[in-house]
Amino acid sequence: MPTETETASRKGFAEAARQWLEENVPERWRTHRSVMTEEEGYEIRREWDRQLHRGGYAGLSLPKEFGGQGLDVAEEVIFADLAGRAQAPDGLARIGRILTAPTLVAHGTQYQLGRFLPKILNGDEVWCQGFSEPDAGSDLAGVRCRAVKVDGGYAVTGRKIWTSFASVADRCLLLAQTDPAAARHKNLTMFLLDMKQPGVSISGIRQSSGLTHFAEVQFDNVFVADEDRVAGEGDGWKVAMTVLANERGGVEAASRYVEIRADMDSLQRAIGHLPEYQRQLEDYDSRVELIRWQVMKSIDYDKDSAEFLKAASVLKLWWSELWQQIAELGLETADATNVEHWRLQYLETRAASIYSGSSEIQRNIISERILGLPR
Amino acid sequence: MVKTAAGEIGIAVAEAIRDAMTKATAGATIATYIEGKPPVAWEVLGDAGWDLAGVIEDEDSTSLRDLVEIAGAWGETLIQLPLVTSLAVKRHSVAAAEAEGPVTLSVPVRTLPNGTGFVPFGQVPGISIIDSVADGSPVRAFEGGNPLDFAPSLLAASSPGTTSLSAEARRELAVIWAAEAAGRAAKVLQEAIEFTKQRQQFGKPVGSFQAVKHHLANAHIAAEVAQTAAIWASLDDASTRQAVAQSFAQSLKSVQLSIQTYGGLGFTWEMGLHFSLRHITTLRELAAGVLNDA
Ligand SMILES: Cc1cc2nc3c(=O)[nH]c(=O)nc-3n(C[C@H](O)[C@H](O)[C@H](O)COP(=O)(O)OP(=O)(O)OC[C@H]3O[C@@H](n4cnc5c(N)ncnc54)[C@H](O)[C@@H]3O)c2cc1C
Repeated sequence: MPTETETASRKGFAEAARQWLEENVPERWRTHRSVMTEEEGYEIRREWDRQLHRGGYAGLSLPKEFGGQGLDVAEEVIFADLAGRAQAPDGLARIGRILTAPTLVAHGTQYQLGRFLPKILNGDEVWCQGFSEPDAGSDLAGVRCRAVKVDGGYAVTGRKIWTSFASVADRCLLLAQTDPAAARHKNLTMFLLDMKQPGVSISGIRQSSGLTHFAEVQFDNVFVADEDRVAGEGDGWKVAMTVLANERGGVEAASRYVEIRADMDSLQRAIGHLPEYQRQLEDYDSRVELIRWQVMKSIDYDKDSAEFLKAASVLKLWWSELWQQIAELGLETADATNVEHWRLQYLETRAASIYSGSSEIQRNIISERILGLPR
Repeated sequence: MVKTAAGEIGIAVAEAIRDAMTKATAGATIATYIEGKPPVAWEVLGDAGWDLAGVIEDEDSTSLRDLVEIAGAWGETLIQLPLVTSLAVKRHSVAAAEAEGPVTLSVPVRTLPNGTGFVPFGQVPGISIIDSVADGSPVRAFEGGNPLDFAPSLLAASSPGTTSLSAEARRELAVIWAAEAAGRAAKVLQEAIEFTKQRQQFGKPVGSFQAVKHHLANAHIAAEVAQTAAIWASLDDASTRQAVAQSFAQSLKSVQLSIQTYGGLGFTWEMGLHFSLRHITTLRELAAGVLNDA
């Protein structure tokens, strides 16, 4: 429970953040983001990462000694909320910030924290996540990409797919198999692999929306040093679970709230005056706000408690499927001024119920691990 | 940022209610007690002082967020006693708080003719009613009225005239009823989980079939968010109306999905699942009634 001083300091934080956002959110993004080229979008998003850092808003809940702000997840949520209302861009550093950084805080060495966190937070290094493979999507334990022990490190060979940001990434949070003979869940290891090396080939995959946000990545005998292995050999599954918990957790949901709130606001501006949509808009609007409330509720619980798991388990499903519905209504009601945006969002949000674990897998997890139903 | 957790009072009273009511009902199902005598006497609640748990004395008194916690715990029981209603009325009227025994009110609802009010627990012998929560308005014995029987859990009656409520009382009643409904939804889900672990078809528990699991996962999401929406309503004055509406929508969705997993059994009277549907839809009507009566 926050004390009075905490409440007061959060109020102060929120006021300063609101002011900062007002002065810093790029006007062009606010007004033109749906019609700009992919390159321009990337450029603005990359610059936004740097702006966040300069303003002191990068890594709000990460330790100060590594360039974070040493605040609580509560501040992350407050900031995401305000950023959503201010229509701030979503940075390119999201994988580093939301996935790599907290994973290293939980499992990384002092060297890894010192080497990687500052550059994640100042926007210098972009990360990608190399988990999925052509034959190992939902069944992550079936990863085949091999990391073979060599002098001073490992040689990685194999294929990853659906790797978002691969084409711009400096580093990859890579899940690879280190011991094919070991039991399921004991044969994987997590690495921090340098993407700018010989032997890494990246071929962009065009998405249904026409954008190329993800890629297939081939590793041919790519070196990764021992010091860039996270936790022990064979601990990859455990580390991957930390990554997935963050990918489906409160900070990710709070950051998605930013985008979804912006879409909801556009929708309201466009059709809010039409009586036939009143009820539906009100319903969607309440559900968008419930992303925020659900996040706030979950962070009031102890991270290891059953209540926390129960509350947090609904986040990913809640925001992803709601976002799809909003985009569907956007497309259905689009006019000449916004059709480009809604066509793109409609196609893009098809992926929301697939990435970070598909809705089917999420429901399996809820029913078996939260509700305790038999397998 | 708002703290969403309940305070100590709310948590303590909710826990006490859960403990005492679990003992009092001794595991009996709702179906066995809801149409007969309540499994607990009103005195038990009164002696514990729970009907006065909402009375405001100083800044450490029960907040609306605390009442959400308490109403949620009460909603889990579905015992046909006027705890939540009486507690809310006693919070807003000194005369009601000073009165012995339960006190109720009369709410204008869409499904009754204009000028006629819905009196929750109006069929409870010896209950008092209040005509206005404004200072100086006394309670009086509630006599008669026509029994309303769609939701036996509410033992309701109708009455000519409705209680005059402050804006704050209206808002709080709506929020508390939403919270009660969310508590009910969570409980129905818990029972559905147990049921589907036991019930066998095709040689295995139906709860092991993925289609059934996904229904229950969706019921979990809805129940969880129904409670969050009630919390939101309690902490954000400006959004009460939409948050309450969302809370009821999600509670109902959750219960409907849970009932689906019982197959034909869920459709029977004696299994008692319909009592939850009746209770929640009626609370929704009551909440809309107080919110619209501005
Ligand atoms: C836009 C986008 C970005 C992505 N970015 C990344 C990234 O950066 N890094 C990365 O590693 N991965 C990324 N992914 C991959 C993503 O995590 C996988 O696509 C996802 O886990 C599903 O795996 P799959 O595509 O192989 O589908 P499959 O696992 O083949 O599943 C096919 C279908 O079967 C269902 N299914 C599978 N198993 C079960 C089961 N046990 N019960 C019920 N249904 C089941 C699935 O839900 C799905 O509907 C991205 C995906 C997308 C769409």
